[in-house]
This record gives sequence, C-alpha cells and structure tokens, in this order.
Amino acid sequence: MDTKKLAESLNPVERKVLRVLDNFSSFHDIMKVTGLKDVEVSRALQWLQNKNVVKLKEQQKELVVLDDNGRRYLKEGLPERKFLEAIDKKTTIPEIAKKTGLSNEEMAISIGALKSKAAIEIEKGKELAATITDDGKHLMKHGFPEEQFLKESFPKELLSLNEEERFVLDNLRKRKRIIKVEMSKIISAELTETGKKLLKEKIEDDLIEKLSPSLIKTSAWKGKKFRRFDVKINVPSIFGGRKQHYRRFLDEVRQKFIALGFKEMTGPIVETDFWDMDVLFMPQFHSARDIHQAYYIKEPKYGKLDEALVKKVKEAHENGIDTGSRGWRYDFDAKRTHRHMLRTQGTASSARMLASKGLEIPGKYFAISRCFRYDVVDATHFPEFNQTEGIIIEEGLNFRHLKSVLKMFAEEFAETDQIKITPGYFPFTEPSAELHAKHPELGWIELGGSGIFRPEVVKPLLGREVPVLAWGIGIDRIAMFKLGIKDIRQLFSHDLGFLRNAKVV
Amino acid sequence: MPTIAFSLRDLQHLTGRKITVEELHELAHCGKGDFEGYDEETDEAKIDFGDTNLPYLWSAEGFARLLRGILGLQKGIPEIKVNKGDYQVIVDKSVMNYRPYIACFAAKGKKMDDYLIKQMVQLQEKFCESYGRRRQKVSIGLYSYRRLKFPVHYKAVDPLSIEFVPLEFKAKMNLKEILAEHPKGKDYAWVLEGFEKYPVLIDDKNEVMSFVPIINSNFTGKLEIGDEDLFFEATGIDEEAVNLAASIFAYALHDRGFQIYSVEAKYPDKKITMPNLKSESIQIKSEQIKNLFGLELKESEIKHLLEKAQYDFSDWKVKIPAYRNDILHPYDVIEDIGIAYGFDKIKELPLTTFTHGSTFKLNEFIDKIREIVVGLGYQEVLSAILTNKEILYRKMNIEDFGTIEIDDYMSETYSVVRSWLLPNLMEVFSKNKHVEFPQKIFEQGLVNSRKGDEIFESHRIAIASSHEDVNYTDMRQALDYIMRCFGLSYDIEEAEHNSFIEGRVGRAIVKGKKFAYLGEINPQVLSNWGLEMPVAALELNLTELFEVMEQR
Repeated sequence: MDTKKLAESLNPVERKVLRVLDNFSSFHDIMKVTGLKDVEVSRALQWLQNKNVVKLKEQQKELVVLDDNGRRYLKEGLPERKFLEAIDKKTTIPEIAKKTGLSNEEMAISIGALKSKAAIEIEKGKELAATITDDGKHLMKHGFPEEQFLKESFPKELLSLNEEERFVLDNLRKRKRIIKVEMSKIISAELTETGKKLLKEKIEDDLIEKLSPSLIKTSAWKGKKFRRFDVKINVPSIFGGRKQHYRRFLDEVRQKFIALGFKEMTGPIVETDFWDMDVLFMPQFHSARDIHQAYYIKEPKYGKLDEALVKKVKEAHENGIDTGSRGWRYDFDAKRTHRHMLRTQGTASSARMLASKGLEIPGKYFAISRCFRYDVVDATHFPEFNQTEGIIIEEGLNFRHLKSVLKMFAEEFAETDQIKITPGYFPFTEPSAELHAKHPELGWIELGGSGIFRPEVVKPLLGREVPVLAWGIGIDRIAMFKLGIKDIRQLFSHDLGFLRNAKVV
Repeated sequence: MPTIAFSLRDLQHLTGRKITVEELHELAHCGKGDFEGYDEETDEAKIDFGDTNLPYLWSAEGFARLLRGILGLQKGIPEIKVNKGDYQVIVDKSVMNYRPYIACFAAKGKKMDDYLIKQMVQLQEKFCESYGRRRQKVSIGLYSYRRLKFPVHYKAVDPLSIEFVPLEFKAKMNLKEILAEHPKGKDYAWVLEGFEKYPVLIDDKNEVMSFVPIINSNFTGKLEIGDEDLFFEATGIDEEAVNLAASIFAYALHDRGFQIYSVEAKYPDKKITMPNLKSESIQIKSEQIKNLFGLELKESEIKHLLEKAQYDFSDWKVKIPAYRNDILHPYDVIEDIGIAYGFDKIKELPLTTFTHGSTFKLNEFIDKIREIVVGLGYQEVLSAILTNKEILYRKMNIEDFGTIEIDDYMSETYSVVRSWLLPNLMEVFSKNKHVEFPQKIFEQGLVNSRKGDEIFESHRIAIASSHEDVNYTDMRQALDYIMRCFGLSYDIEEAEHNSFIEGRVGRAIVKGKKFAYLGEINPQVLSNWGLEMPVAALELNLTELFEVMEQR
C-alpha cells in the first residue's frame, strides 16, 4: 500500500498514537502523552505493527512503582513532614502524636528519620519532647528528598535512577509498603522505514469513520474521505445457524427423488414382525430372524394388526396363496407376527404403502427411514442407520425397466454411468439383483440392492399381482465420502466445533 | 451370509477347467456370491454366498458343480448313482416327540485327507448354523462305519442313563454333565430345553456315536485322515431340511469320487430307503419369462439355459435337483434362466409413465420449521434415537412417563427409544463445555412413548440456547416467531416440570392441544449434566401442530 493510502487507513486512535511516535517510544510514555487507555494504545500499536508502520519490542525490566503507602504519602505528605509541622518550639511526643494522628510505628519511623537528618532534637524530661533544628527548618522549607522522589513519575525503570535517587530509594524500601520494585514487560514501539515516511505524509483528521444515518440525511459526507479499511485483514470467526451436515445431505437426496417423480412414504419406527418381515415373505424360521438380529420391545409386546391381512400373509407363507407358489410349507405363528420390534429395514414402509388405500398405480414411492440393527458400536457399525428405499408399481414393468432405474440411480448418486448388475438374494424379490457402480473416486462400490417383489408379497397386500420394482440404496457410504467422514459415528456427531465447521455438500 | 473358503486349485480340479482369479470374481455372482479375496501363498479363495436358501453352494464341491453348468461343461441335473447298501438304522418311537427325522447314507471308495475333512466340516458347520438354525432344525454327523456295528439305533434316553467320552474329552460323562461342562454342551443346550429325554445315536454294540445334536463320541464320532468308509446322518425337526442335508452331502461326496450306498431307516410303522434323492418338478410358462425379464425366448433356448442352470426340462416341466429346496414359485426357476442368460446381456428399457413426485406433507411442514429455526441462528444436531433412562429421566430430574424399552439390548447406552428430545440437546451441551458461547442448538426427530398398550410416535423439535444472559424470554420469542410465521395464535399457561425452574416454565396450547414446553432449565439439571452455563429450552410437538394446521 502506498503511504498516502496508508495514511487514509489510519483510525483515530492509530493517528493519535502515530503522531507522538517520533518523540516517544515506550508504551507508558505513549499512554501518558496521548491520554489514551491501556487497551487503546495496545490495540493501536498492534494495528500499526500489522500495517508495518512500527516494530514492537518487548523487554523484561525492573520497574520502580509506588505501593499503597507511597500513594497515600504522595497525597497526604510524609509522616516526618507531619511530625515537623506539629512541633511548636518544644512539643512533647504524645502531643505530636495526638496532633498528627500518626501511628506508633509511623511516629517511631519519623523520629528515626528526622534524627538521622539532624532535623530535630529530643529532650528527656518528665516526658520526651522535640524541638526543630535549623536543618529541620531548612527541610520544611525546601522539602525532603523522599518527597521529591515520590513526586517522580512511576513506573520508573530501576536502571534509570542516579546515585542520589538510588540512595533515597533504598531508604524508602526499608519502610513499609511505600515503594516496590517489580519485573515487568516493557513494550516500546520503533518506527519502521514505512512509519517514518508515513509521518511525513499529511495525516488528515477529517476522515469519516462511520457512515451514520445523520451523515446520509445531511449529505455531510460529500467532499469528505472515508477512512480506508484494510480489506485483507483477518477477522474473528462467526457461526451461523445451519442444518446438520448429514441431514442436509439426506434433504437433498429427498429432493432428487421428488424431482425424479417419486412420492415420499413413511412408517413408524416401532414396527411389528408382520410389517418388518412377515409381509415380506421372510419365513419365521429364517436365520435372519433370530432374536439377536433385531431389537424387540419389552412392553407392549404385541401390536394391533388387520387380522384379515394377517390371514392372507399366513396363507402366503404356508401355501403360496394361489400365486403358483408352494409357500414355505410350515405353520405360520399368527401370534408371533404381532410382536413389536424396532424397524430393521425400510422395506417395511414399502409394504405399508402397497397395503394403503392411497396407493396409486402407476406409482413411484421412496422413503428415507431410520432403521435399527443389533450391532456393536465402532467406526463402521452403529445400531442406527438410514435406509433409502422405494418401489415402482406399474403393469407391464419387468427387469429391463429395473435396470434402467438402477442406472439412473448410479448417475444421480454415484455420478457414474458405469454399472454392473449382478444376481443377488433378498427373500422378498425374485429376481434379485445387486447394483455395483464405478464411483469416480471410490472405484467399484456396492451401491444397492433391488429386485421385483415376489407374487407371495404382492398378492396378499393388493389382492392381485402387479409388477413392483423394489430397490434400496446404501446412501450412507456416499454421504460419508461426500462429507469427508471416515467414522460412521460422525454422522451423529455431538461435537459442536465439528458441526459448526462441517463441510456443506 | 456364509463365507466359504476353499483351494482354487481344488475348485479347478473339481470343475475340470482352469479358472483365473478374475473369472472367479464374475463366476461368484452366478451363485449370488461376492468374491472376498484370494491368498496366493495358501491358494485359498473366499466367497460370501448371499442366498441363505442355497446351502449346496457352501462347499467347493457344490460351487464347482454350479460352475460346470454355467461354463457349459455339463448339462441338466448331474447324475448320481445310489448303490444298495446293507445298513440299517432303527428309529425308536421315543424320538418322535423330540427330534423325529433322520436321513442317512454310506459312502466309500476314496480316502479322506486333511483338506477334504476340512471342507466337510466347513459345509457341516455352515449348514447347521445357518440353514439348520444353530442345529435346532438340522444337525449333521459323519463317521467311519468301520468303527460302527450295524444296525444303528436312534432313540431318546434318560439323560443320566448313558455315559460316554465326548469329542476332545478324556473322561466319560453323562448327558447332563455334557450339557453343563462341555463347551458344545453349553453352546447348544438351549436346543434341548424342556426335553425329558435326550436323543442319541448308539450302535449295536451299545457304543454311543453321538449325543444329538450336541456332540459326537471321541471314539466313533470323528473322521480321521485315511478313513474311506463313511457313514452320514442328519437329524432334525424338519423332514425336508434333513433330507436336503443328506442330498447335499451325498452329491458332494459323489463329486469327490465316492460311491454312495443306501441306508434303510426302520421306523416303528414304516421302512424308508435313504438318501431320498427324488426330484420335485415345477411347471413354467413362456410368458413368465417375458413378464419377469422382458425376454422372448424360443423353447430350445429356454431348454439350453435351464440345462446350464442344472435343471432338466421337458414339456415346460422343470425338474429340480435334490440338492436344492429353494424353488417355491416358477419365478425362482425363471430367475435362474435370467442368470444363465446373463443379467448384463438383458437390455434396459426406460420408464415412460409420468408420475408426480411429492414430499410427505408432514415432512414438508417439518422442513419449514427447521428452516425457520436455522434462520434464528440455531445449529442443527442429529442424535441416535436409542438412548437410556439415565439421560431421559434421572439427569433431567423427572420421572419416567412411559418408555419403549428394548427387551434384550446389547448395550445399556442404547437400551430405550427416546421419549423426548431435550435430553439429547443437554447431552450436546455437556460434551461442548469448552466450545465458544453462545451455543444455540436444535434437533428435530421422532420420539416414542407408551401409555398402557398404546404406543405414541410423534415428530418433535427441541430448541435450546446456552449463554450467560439466556432466559425465558429468548424461548418465548422463538416460539412466538415460529407461530407467527404460520399465522397461528396460541396461549401460554404456567406449568410444572421439574426439568425447568419453578415459575419459569410455560406450556403452550393451541386449539386445546398442549403442544410445547418452554422455560429455563433447572440448575439441578444443569449440575446433573456438569454444566456451568444457564440454558433455556423449548420442545414442540410437530405432529400435533401439523394436525392443527390441517384442520384450519
């Protein structure tokens, strides 16, 4: 910045400080000459240093400062002066004490000090009495060296004292809380080359600091200059209100599905075995249904269901309910199907949608559902996760349509058109397929599972067979990649520092 | 889903063709499996098979059989010859109430080596654990029949009446002792829970072979290197599953070059010759292929594909090999036609019907509220829905008001479903005591509670602010602002709530619905959370508020 612009950028405090810098350099002096407060000088010097106008130096020095008695005596006068002033020709000690109000200790010190200076004489009689000597009179008139010393400006560098002053200081230090010497940081500012040039510039005082409503109203700003700001300066951080990083990502996923023509569906997190698994044609004896695969609820143990529907699902399991299927050929436990549990898969919502009166055919549906699995907690496992699932229902749909849907998802969510669709297994779809996508940065990833709902799933819910394409996308992996997160627990982070600074994607 | 390990060289030998690791990657998909890795040093390959109803693939023999079909080295159902054997199992009526089914066969003509024993044990373990539902539905035993005296007896006995030395043990134990002391006894005792008598297999010299389904005898009940005369048994409570086990093992040993011999089971009322390798059939239609895959195939093509998938096909009737029990519906066969055809060769077809996308209406309302609260300068947080009573109640200075608890939780930390949201926010504050203030946070999410047999699920939002000067007014202003945004008028009444300071807590009511609490948090609660900064908070029931909005 040239010095002219630099001059225009100085704020009032900086200007005040700068003007005294060719004569004064110590922090204390600057404060005294400018009349600014400690913090003001400190900030101004810091700013000037940031602008390369001064160079600040810090030194450890011994400083002489007044202690509380010292400050009092400066105001009230030294006890020995009071002592002298109380003597009228010949005055007894108790009388002096009474007149001056000095403590015994101060009396003793005063007598000692005055005697050493031969300013008084003490006579012994019935009571002790003091008279002033000529030296004493001289002192009264011209002052004590100690008085002179107290009137100096403090803090004062110890090294700057002359011999005489050192002598006085040593005397005073022997007395109680008059003077102390402490180690202190001394800041001094030295003008840089830029600073010296700057001092030669015309430093205007008539710069507008703040544009106020009245300045605007009165047009008083016209013809004046605004103080120039350092626009490059670092400023303290602020934190705005914002959505949680992962939830924001899920919001966007929702918006994408809506844009693709999907309707959002929901379902409760406390589900029954029925909606979570039985309607999905997962046999009750299946190994995926062991107690330790899902969280079952203590109370209420059982939920209410549409019993006519339960009967149909029971038939589907036992004999295939007229779909051409032989069913699983076992006795379906109609009580167990009412058992309450925490939803393990978002497919439960798809099943509820198929059974709902509001179902539209043709229709496309999706849900992002919180699901629960019996799991340990570590960097890759958490008992809760979000599943993104959905269905597309329409007469005449088949696996070829499913492939194009999967390709669309790969493009939307993994930013790739390179996909592989391989055979898979889900109890509720036939055929079943896995979607692998070649993510530009992650490489080949398993993006999701899909298939066409089995007739044994669709018929009990709809009363007839209609093709239902079903799919689920492992969105958490993409979320973690986009958010730059390595530990799954960070999706649910409680670290405010992290939340306030998390990447917005 | 079972992960199976085998030697790649062995797989090539069984398949009759060289298979590269890259090919294995692709071929695994044909068995609905994912290639998990290959160790060059040990030649061990691993595949995770996804279909829990296809246990025949859980050994190198079964997988190689599938590959022979896929690679065109063999067509249709592989042939297997069962020779007539001179072995008998006498099934006593005492097992009928406990574990009524048994399937057996004998095999000879090959020597067992270390690798083969490991493969058999792997198949046995995966089958019994997963398909056999931890041995309850099916359990399997393999013996050298040289050490047995036929006929073999399958019966249920008094637990204290019999003693034998179980595998890996040195001393004789009775059945009760085995359940109490043997590691396998402890693992599987649950299968026999409530049984008065326990099933055993005993040979004709009264030598115990196996305490079913717990442990075999250390003397007769294990295979050793060099054994060449095998006796197989599977017992269980599901006849189809028991027969499937015998079929899968008979095929596997047959593929290894063993001769299979039949065994006769003599029940009190009938005689059965085992193994039962009879095939079921299912009828398919050409339209079904079109319906599912959009493929129009000629009958000869269909026959070719089905034979590749190791079915026999004639006159639209598909014969299913005995080692499979997963075909319930014609579509199960048609899927295999699709796999044999190649999923990658099936051309995609775009969706053409227009459908109208939309959010769930309540969620739309929730999003608006979140946006408003963000605008007030609050940072959104997201917590687990699972939590614990310490957090929900004790630290919040209130009583349990009806909680959904998990029956058999894994960790106390996640042992109940949250019944309100504010404790989550308090937890956030407690973890951020040294982070810059003011701290203004909110969470939106589901809560559940119960009254008797009813479960109530609702969407809520909790808002909390923590800094030196925070007070009731801040929350009242926030609530006021939110309600004004929707043009809703509401009332506030004094409330009692021990999480808040008495006299500084209000309840908000709209159209008779008490939908929110707001106030300054009780210093007792703050100290329970180890907090030194005041907190004011607000919790709103969005499900109820939305209902009010909808009624307008």
